[in-house]
Amino acid sequence: MIIITRANISDAELDAIRERIEQRGMRTHLSRGVERTIIGCIGDESLLAEVPLRSMPGVEDVVPVLKPYKLASREFAASPTIVRVGDDPSRPGRVAAFGGKSIAVIAGPCSVEGQEMLHASAEAVRDAGGVMLRGGAFKPRTSPYAFQGLGNTALKMLADVRRSTGMPVVTEVMDPRQIDSVAEHADMLQVGARNMQNFSLLSELGRVKRPILLKRGLSATIKELLMAAEYIMAQGNRDVVLCERGIRTFEQATRNTLDVAAVPVLKRETHLPVIVDPSHAGGVADLVAPLSFAAIAAGADGLIVEVHPDPANALSDGDQSLSFEGFRTLMQRLVPFAEAAGRSLGTNAAKEAAA
Amino acid sequence: MTPAQSRDAALDALGKCRQQIESIDHELVTLLAKRVALSKEIGAMKKVAGLPTLDPAREAEVIRRAASLARDTGLNDEKVRDIFWHVIGLSRAAQVGE
Repeated sequence: MIIITRANISDAELDAIRERIEQRGMRTHLSRGVERTIIGCIGDESLLAEVPLRSMPGVEDVVPVLKPYKLASREFAASPTIVRVGDDPSRPGRVAAFGGKSIAVIAGPCSVEGQEMLHASAEAVRDAGGVMLRGGAFKPRTSPYAFQGLGNTALKMLADVRRSTGMPVVTEVMDPRQIDSVAEHADMLQVGARNMQNFSLLSELGRVKRPILLKRGLSATIKELLMAAEYIMAQGNRDVVLCERGIRTFEQATRNTLDVAAVPVLKRETHLPVIVDPSHAGGVADLVAPLSFAAIAAGADGLIVEVHPDPANALSDGDQSLSFEGFRTLMQRLVPFAEAAGRSLGTNAAKEAAA
Repeated sequence: MTPAQSRDAALDALGKCRQQIESIDHELVTLLAKRVALSKEIGAMKKVAGLPTLDPAREAEVIRRAASLARDTGLNDEKVRDIFWHVIGLSRAAQVGE
């Protein structure tokens, strides 16, 4: 349930309304917008059945949130959420913002293979206008015999590269036992497609003070993706970025089928930022550019792209990785698409956020 | 003052401020311990009086007071609300004997 208040409501009136709700054992969440302020009620709504909220001073309307996802739903926030990554005062470096006017591009190798290649990738991504570095430390591979990632060694390399280049880093966390060390080394924690419905992992991530990048499961519906976000948010972490990365269909010409429509549907359903992973969706480097164009045209707030110094010799996902040169070209070609969508691109995200 | 002297003065003042912060932190933790001890007593009294341990109405009042006080002193009231929900959590745990 959300309570929409009058524009000129006083702090004391807001306090009084929140106290009435909290008296029933619920919690409240305040979202201040330019034109209106919304009080979101968190908990069992039946507890409020007999509370005459509508007649309290300052209340304009009381609206039930009928969707199964409450905290993630569009109604719950007065304006779209901007998730800021790297915004930790104890860590010098750049800040990446998702959900604002500029489109944020994350790029980097599928997996961290060594210090040198990671550093080179970070610089190439930064110089081409990317705002964040990606790099897998723990890899959920379909085969137990495939390269599983460098684990904690890779985490340290990511933290080193963050310090030397100023680029915030995102890496996947597969297991609740890894959360502390990943949160210590990375700026954003990724939940991979295969873990989207690992509810114990999601709940634990809700207690972390770092933004989460939540990827859509291979066979998950949009509603299931939003419910997964709700799991994280219900534990207190409201900084969730959603990622469409292609779903499994009968089509075999592409690794997955990019669900372009998911982008506008998600933007309608939720206040959370939505980004697209064209590398996993298409599965081949040639498809990265056209799928990126489609994503931006559809309203995506950002992209996450796989880039490798030597794609032909990558330890994982080489086929879908762009070379540094390929990434530079992609970033240039994205500009007119971003402009056509009324957005800007590239380093603006970091500058804007830092201002 | 030469630049070296003013730097020394600044470092000296910084050290003093840090000392003050340390003693404030000490006080904060001591006060939290006192609050928890009182909550335990309250828990025992509630049991004797046959009252329920959890009292959301009282908690809501505590939060409202803290938020309003925070605003008066120029602090971010949303952050102070969060802190006080944690403080209440400590007291709750003490009352239910965790």
